Amino acid sequence: MKHILSLIFAALFLGSCASEEQRPIEISAGDYHNAVDRITNIMVHDIFSPPVASRIYAYSNIAAYEIIAQNNDAFPSFSNTYHNFTDIPAPDTTKQINYRLAALVAQLETGKKLIFSEDDISTYQDSLYSIWEQQNPASFRDSKEYGLQVVAHMNEWINSDNYKETRTMPKFSVYSDDPSRWQPTPPTYMDGIEPHWEKIRPFALDSASQFRPQPHPEFSLSEGSDFYNELMEVYNIRREMDKTGDESEEIQMARFWDCNPYVSTQRGHLMFATKKITPGGHWIGVCKIAAKKSNLSFEETIYAYTATSIAIADAFISCWEEKYRSELIRPETLINKYVDENWTPVLQTPPFPEYPSGHSVVSGAAAMVLTHIFGNDFHYDDDTEVQFGLPVRSFTSFDQAAREAAMSRLYGGIHYRAAIEKGLVQGQSLGSYIVEDLELKPLQPQTAGL
Amino acid sequence: MKKLCLILVSFFLISCSEEKEETLFSNISPSDSNLNFTNSLTETNALNILDYLYFYNGGGVAIGDINNDGLSDIYFTGNQIPNKLFLNKGNMQFDDITESAGVAGESDWNTGVVMADVNGDGLLDMYVCAVVGINGLRGQNELYINNGDNTFTEKAKEYNLDLQNYSSNAAFFDYDNDGDLDMYLLNHAVHTVDTYGPAEIRNNRTYESGDKLLRNDNGIFTDVSEEAGIYGGANSYGLGLATADFNNDGFTDIYVSNDFHEDDYYYINNGDGTFSEKLKEKFGHISRFSMGSDVADINSDGYPDILTLDMLPEDEKVLKASMGDDPVDLHNMKIDRYGYHHQYTRNMLQINRGGEYFQETGLFSGVAATDWSWAALFADYDQDGQQDIFIATGIPRRPNDLDYIKYVSNEQIQKKITTTKLVDQKALEMMPSGAVKNYMFRGGANLEFSDQSGKWISADTTFSTGAAYADLDNDGDLDLVTNNINQPAGVYRNNSDGISGYLKIKLNHPAPNTFGIGTRIIAYSNGKIQTRQLFTSRGFQSSSEPVFHFGFGNLQTIDSLLVIWPDNTFQVENEVELNQTLTLQPKNGNSKVDYNQLFPETEKWFQKVDSIPGMDFAHEENRYSDFDRQKLIPYKISDRGPAVAVKDLNGDGKEDIFFGNSKFKPAKIYFQTSNGFTEQDFPELRKDSISEDVSAVIEDFNGDGKNDLFVVSSGGEFSGENQALLDRLYFGNNDAQLEKQSLPSYFENGSVVKVHDFDRDGNPDIFVGNGAISNDFGKTPNSYLLKNNGNSFTIVENSALKQAGMVTDAVWTDFDADGWTDLIVVGEWMSPTFYKNNQGNLENVTPAILSKNLNGLWQSILPFDINRDGEMDYLLGNWGLNTKFEASEKYPLKMYYSDFDDNGSTETILAYAKNGEYYTVLGLDELVGQLSFLRKKFPAYKEFAGKKLEQIFDSKQLVEAELHEVNTLASGYLLNNNGKFTFKKFEAALQLAPVTSFLKADFNNDNFEEVLIAGNYFGTTPYHGRFDGLAGNIIAHDGKILEGNEIGLNFTQKSVRSLNIITLNNSRYLMVTFNNDRPAFYKIHD
Repeated sequence: MKHILSLIFAALFLGSCASEEQRPIEISAGDYHNAVDRITNIMVHDIFSPPVASRIYAYSNIAAYEIIAQNNDAFPSFSNTYHNFTDIPAPDTTKQINYRLAALVAQLETGKKLIFSEDDISTYQDSLYSIWEQQNPASFRDSKEYGLQVVAHMNEWINSDNYKETRTMPKFSVYSDDPSRWQPTPPTYMDGIEPHWEKIRPFALDSASQFRPQPHPEFSLSEGSDFYNELMEVYNIRREMDKTGDESEEIQMARFWDCNPYVSTQRGHLMFATKKITPGGHWIGVCKIAAKKSNLSFEETIYAYTATSIAIADAFISCWEEKYRSELIRPETLINKYVDENWTPVLQTPPFPEYPSGHSVVSGAAAMVLTHIFGNDFHYDDDTEVQFGLPVRSFTSFDQAAREAAMSRLYGGIHYRAAIEKGLVQGQSLGSYIVEDLELKPLQPQTAGL
Repeated sequence: MKKLCLILVSFFLISCSEEKEETLFSNISPSDSNLNFTNSLTETNALNILDYLYFYNGGGVAIGDINNDGLSDIYFTGNQIPNKLFLNKGNMQFDDITESAGVAGESDWNTGVVMADVNGDGLLDMYVCAVVGINGLRGQNELYINNGDNTFTEKAKEYNLDLQNYSSNAAFFDYDNDGDLDMYLLNHAVHTVDTYGPAEIRNNRTYESGDKLLRNDNGIFTDVSEEAGIYGGANSYGLGLATADFNNDGFTDIYVSNDFHEDDYYYINNGDGTFSEKLKEKFGHISRFSMGSDVADINSDGYPDILTLDMLPEDEKVLKASMGDDPVDLHNMKIDRYGYHHQYTRNMLQINRGGEYFQETGLFSGVAATDWSWAALFADYDQDGQQDIFIATGIPRRPNDLDYIKYVSNEQIQKKITTTKLVDQKALEMMPSGAVKNYMFRGGANLEFSDQSGKWISADTTFSTGAAYADLDNDGDLDLVTNNINQPAGVYRNNSDGISGYLKIKLNHPAPNTFGIGTRIIAYSNGKIQTRQLFTSRGFQSSSEPVFHFGFGNLQTIDSLLVIWPDNTFQVENEVELNQTLTLQPKNGNSKVDYNQLFPETEKWFQKVDSIPGMDFAHEENRYSDFDRQKLIPYKISDRGPAVAVKDLNGDGKEDIFFGNSKFKPAKIYFQTSNGFTEQDFPELRKDSISEDVSAVIEDFNGDGKNDLFVVSSGGEFSGENQALLDRLYFGNNDAQLEKQSLPSYFENGSVVKVHDFDRDGNPDIFVGNGAISNDFGKTPNSYLLKNNGNSFTIVENSALKQAGMVTDAVWTDFDADGWTDLIVVGEWMSPTFYKNNQGNLENVTPAILSKNLNGLWQSILPFDINRDGEMDYLLGNWGLNTKFEASEKYPLKMYYSDFDDNGSTETILAYAKNGEYYTVLGLDELVGQLSFLRKKFPAYKEFAGKKLEQIFDSKQLVEAELHEVNTLASGYLLNNNGKFTFKKFEAALQLAPVTSFLKADFNNDNFEEVLIAGNYFGTTPYHGRFDGLAGNIIAHDGKILEGNEIGLNFTQKSVRSLNIITLNNSRYLMVTFNNDRPAFYKIHD
């Protein structure tokens, strides 16, 4: 569908600009949304894990934003916040640089470097480029050149965030007799993903442990202990939900917020994957909904995406730091072992330790940033998951959505209550910090415009 | 008749016009034979592979002479279509008599079929299996009783055989030796829950999927599964069924192959109506997705061997695009947590060693990879006296295609599955086809098979599932029939036609077992035996004709036949003429066979001792996975212990034992007492328990008359300048205690210590060989020569020796017979290296001594004059040839060592050659686990699969990498010819696993030295499987290799680290030290 749309756009532009050589290339907020969607779709296809996906969103948006910040005093650079970041090269003012175009080039090019399957992005770039070139060759070339110059500059920074080094670091070792230690979960028993993510350089945080949550209840399988009670809550809640069945509100919530990029299904020799966007991807989608609803300009749109994606990326670093510090076992493993051998959660348990809940931390952080930008009582219809066969859900605020996202993990059977409640607090604190550290400003809804 | 002439003419025409090699088999077209049967499968929304996991398993074939006209008739089952019976009219012409015979079947989904005389009237009946109860499939297993007039009547209910469950196949045989045929029913699970249950769930009987043993009680079959000890759980994915007397005790045993995570079952018949399942005890590892199987004695020792089929592709393009073995951790979890056995995705050829244990030789024998394989049929197709193998293969869609699983399936299936639980045709069609050639292997001597696919049989690609053999045209040789999915059934006519000697034998056995099922015939010719036992259910969902077939090459007669009837009475037929069909019946007055005489117990050289008083050492390897840190290394380096040293430590003249231990576990010393051992505490030693000890030596280093101890530290975990890597020297003191001494500081993963006074100054010096470097596999470590200065050691500078390689073993030996003892060093990714002792100076003289490059994965060396010519030869233990690694002089196994992704840590990339091109050993997922840039380079598996090494890495990366090579993986010996050495390979029995230890002694008191050889190694990923088949072999004085079961040893499933002889109470004992286990003691015969 999107493809068709852009084709129509392309045709429109082609038709209208053939005669006028030097007219400025017009780029709208919609173009930026499309570019972000492109990257999202490739990430779904390539099966990027939630933390890695958050990194791709952050860098691609930052690349675009810093270009905008070069040219527009209303949008100050975030460069002081970042670690080891050197300002992007100043544009050559003698050139005909279209900053929106340069920003879009930088976003797509940075995204393309970080995803795997480049073909789709390249095709998309080619179609855009050929339109722009026809519209105004000189401006296109100068702007593209500047965009690529910024990308080249950013590369060095991106490459020094320890991502490459963590690829070769040891796997999470499953060889332990500690009964509280995380073990791979059914059905594919994947290795724990990204056990060294806390070593990734954060964007705004001082350190990965800056917002380390309160500890979870001490592991104990003694009846009456807090931990045991929380374990049995996961089990019992499922039994309650089963009474109502698939239509229960809790199951609807759980499914809506699943955001698992890779759910594997096995039927004998037949195996297949069902893929969705990540929790970060979902909140990027919410940002898009809010930006569109508020008719944000191109620049404001990038501002909102960039702030949100920084919050999400840092939330994953913070969350993963605790996950692989506490290495807590998932409810499914314990329930199968001690309570019911055949129990399965509503959602497939994701392949990493339990505490805290990633979705809770990320939702808390993202909602905090979005609330600051778009306001407290922002009503919206969330259709991000429609493409995955899930319904639209309506929310009266980002905070309401974040609380629901967090609780959905309990209904999904993949988290204990502490991971949700303490994770949400962790995310909210982190989000508030991002708001302050980036000195984020609220954006007023526009009445019209690009 | 005219038609035959035409066929013959065209046959000759073809063979004359095209000068190519005549194929052993020719395809008979259905238009000529009138065998019109196509197992047409129709995928519907209601029934497809998503709803029924065995949707593509196809149908079966049963062959037998139903009207006793001397011509074998054929019955095919169709999954969704009516079954068909074809009457053989002779000359490869058939008539479809399904309708008149009344055997089309009523079930919705048919599977296996067996022909057997169930009611004992001398006529073959037919039992047709069905899948009933899932997805609305109706019907039942059907028993067609032969009315004797080419019609049949379905009477399953009368016989209590009208089961309605998920049947794969059945076998009729007499398990309780009461004279009638009982039945084993093979069922399959459809358990699709996404978790592995514990292995014990096989104990919970499930009607639908559990196997059943049914006893024939005067024509009524009674389910005796429970009392007979037959598993029947929800996890028994039974696809293969084989019967044989595996242990030669006169009772029929059963081998069941199970798909997926369930183990296969090896049921030994106890002779009292019960069975004992002994898979784990007798088999080191088994096929993972076990499908069809067959049983035959392929090495002429009278014990039936087993082939189980799996789905390992041969073609790199398919191999690297398909799901392979489990990742290490998941594999271990199934074993450690859920209790399953070691399973690997490949065909397994299990060689039966006297019923004591099985040795798996599939990779050595060249039959491990035949892609998606259903039926295996052993027979002597070319009649040369060796069993050959036919394998029926192919699947319409490959559900294990990685691109399908990860990328393609998503969009197509996603919405459907979440909403309707159905998959549409479009989604199914995106799975790649698995049309594969059927395989044919020619059997050779020494467990070797050569691939004749496309030579003996046409290489046409079909989906062949069930298969059976029979001499359809009565020309003496065996023809083959396959049941194909969506294609006409295949007939391969055997053109041997009297070129080689054959013998067919039909039995005329008293009722009710009128065809003599279970009869065994041993043919004696030219000092060789061939054994066959008559069971018809074999291959996959099929049964072959109830006739014996032997091939004898160019012989005209054979010495004799020993016929052992189902009641274990026997008769002998002497001077049997070949090229005929004999009919035999039991003679009056036959006496019972004595199996102990037929398969006599050999005199055992070693007698296992259950325990030695006071000896309680158990080596426990700490749980550590090297692959967690260095994901691409070829094998572990952290599991090479424990160290062992045997010598008197307390000066009482008795041999004491030092055992090293793993990380954090203290080494132990046992002093010998009057009747055993007692553990002695050494606080100094305990202080160093952080170190992992892999080699040790006891010697009086400081010349004070008291023995001292040198221990080599290793373990592959500590890295850099970690103190735990330092080797240790302890001097014995007056209190019989050990005092730690200082040594030069070097930090290496040691592997071996060898002592010799190389400079003849009267003080014993030390060579320490070191192995791979922790977290930097591929870098050459430093080995050291330590000069003994009387009370301290200093490193002797010798650059050639220092960079010898990844050393595993060494020996001080005067290889040039100049009176000065020299040093030979062996190791992995290196050649045996000869250091000549020039009066105290060690010089590498290897090039002058070895004519050929001999880089190997060497594990051990022993000086031994194997040809007794007075010149010292050297036995060399290598990785062995039962491995997925390929290495030759022309195409060495290659290992590139470099920091490929430029992130400060090094990687190793292994590559092997196939058909002259190099490919990475590992698949894309494994490589990407360490080198993420490859995922960007190859976003889809099909883009990676089949790519040559230089297409995966650019030439700069490969050129800049350090290249290590292996030219031979064979164990063998260096034969000394006037100081020049030539490498000779050991025979097959010694190539089945890495050889880690040798021990030279006169074990049988014949005044000659023999060599005991042992090995096995488990430090590899599931891709390689485990090397567990060496039981312990003796090279006898006459050069003959004796197998463990012949001499009383069984080290299978154990990884041997050390062999020692200890004298205890004036008796000699063999002590075998294993990794991660208790040592074993064997008394050596006086």
